[in-house]
Amino acid sequence: MSVYTLQKMLREVNRSPGSRERYFAEKETFVSGYVLTDEERSAVLAFDVQKLYALGVHGLILRPFTIIHKMSEPDYLRAIRGEA
Amino acid sequence: MLVYAAAMSHAPGITAWPKAAPTEQRARLDEAFERLAADLHAAAAETLVVLTSEHWNNFFLDHVGAFCVGRATAYSGPVEPFLQIEGREVAGDPELAGRIVTAAYERGFEPSFSYELSFDHGTMLPLHKLHVNGTRVVPVFFNTLVDPQPSAARAYDFGAIIGDVLRASGERVALIATGGMSHDPGELRHGTIDSAFDRRFIEQMERGDAAALRSYSRADFAAAGAGAFELLAWIALQGALRDAPGRTLAYEAVVPWATGIGLMEFDLK
Repeated sequence: MSVYTLQKMLREVNRSPGSRERYFAEKETFVSGYVLTDEERSAVLAFDVQKLYALGVHGLILRPFTIIHKMSEPDYLRAIRGEA
Repeated sequence: MLVYAAAMSHAPGITAWPKAAPTEQRARLDEAFERLAADLHAAAAETLVVLTSEHWNNFFLDHVGAFCVGRATAYSGPVEPFLQIEGREVAGDPELAGRIVTAAYERGFEPSFSYELSFDHGTMLPLHKLHVNGTRVVPVFFNTLVDPQPSAARAYDFGAIIGDVLRASGERVALIATGGMSHDPGELRHGTIDSAFDRRFIEQMERGDAAALRSYSRADFAAAGAGAFELLAWIALQGALRDAPGRTLAYEAVVPWATGIGLMEFDLK
């Protein structure tokens, strides 16, 4: 249930100001603190929203995560629907 | 004693991107929000019990409970940096919260309880829109995110216990349910609003139709979008109010906020 850890990490970025700062300052270092699959790690580092959704990240974790990346709603919807 | 009861949606767009909504819809909703705020203020409640939901803030998959009563002396929020709601501390009412927990245990419910919780838009947005300042708050969270969510009948019955505690209380208590209506936040049907579902639900709330409200299935909510499970709080409110007649102050399907927004008040029996 690795998507568990992926969601746990994204949620941490969403809700913790300190984690959010560390994530945006040095993403690879931040992500290395979590045991993810290669596919998950690549999707996060590439900000591949379509892949993150396909991996099973809940919409109420993924949408806030994309809002703090300034992703617009139309772009988000295109991404999760695979239309991007 | 129970002095006021209302229900309202809490879509983050209401404060995060207010101007995305059509001007006329926003004006009608703002008028209704101000009416709720004025009526709540006039009721002079000492404590506000908020039947609410949250969005992976306090709770994660490491421990999932059906209901959680907040017993903290204070809460902080909102956690989201984009809501345009100033962060602040909100006083709790651990004594009243404790009575809710005890009554529940005595009557066949074992809700979780917590002495440390923070608020996201699900609770902070209602407090902000209703200008709640200085009133103590007791949050009661419903699991609306993780399958299986509590059933509508169970939510209603839990609400009935809460209502009894509030009516027996020596302090003036207001009760608000928040969440919903139809929406599918962050999911494939994000932006789709089922107005027919929302209007039917509102009519059932208006006439206190316990049989109809208690019979909603998980499939019924899921069909109206993942966020429609938040209406469990509204059903619990009618359990608390013993099927009180309600008035709808506004209903708007606000596509840019991706949510059917409803605001209701109830006549206390």
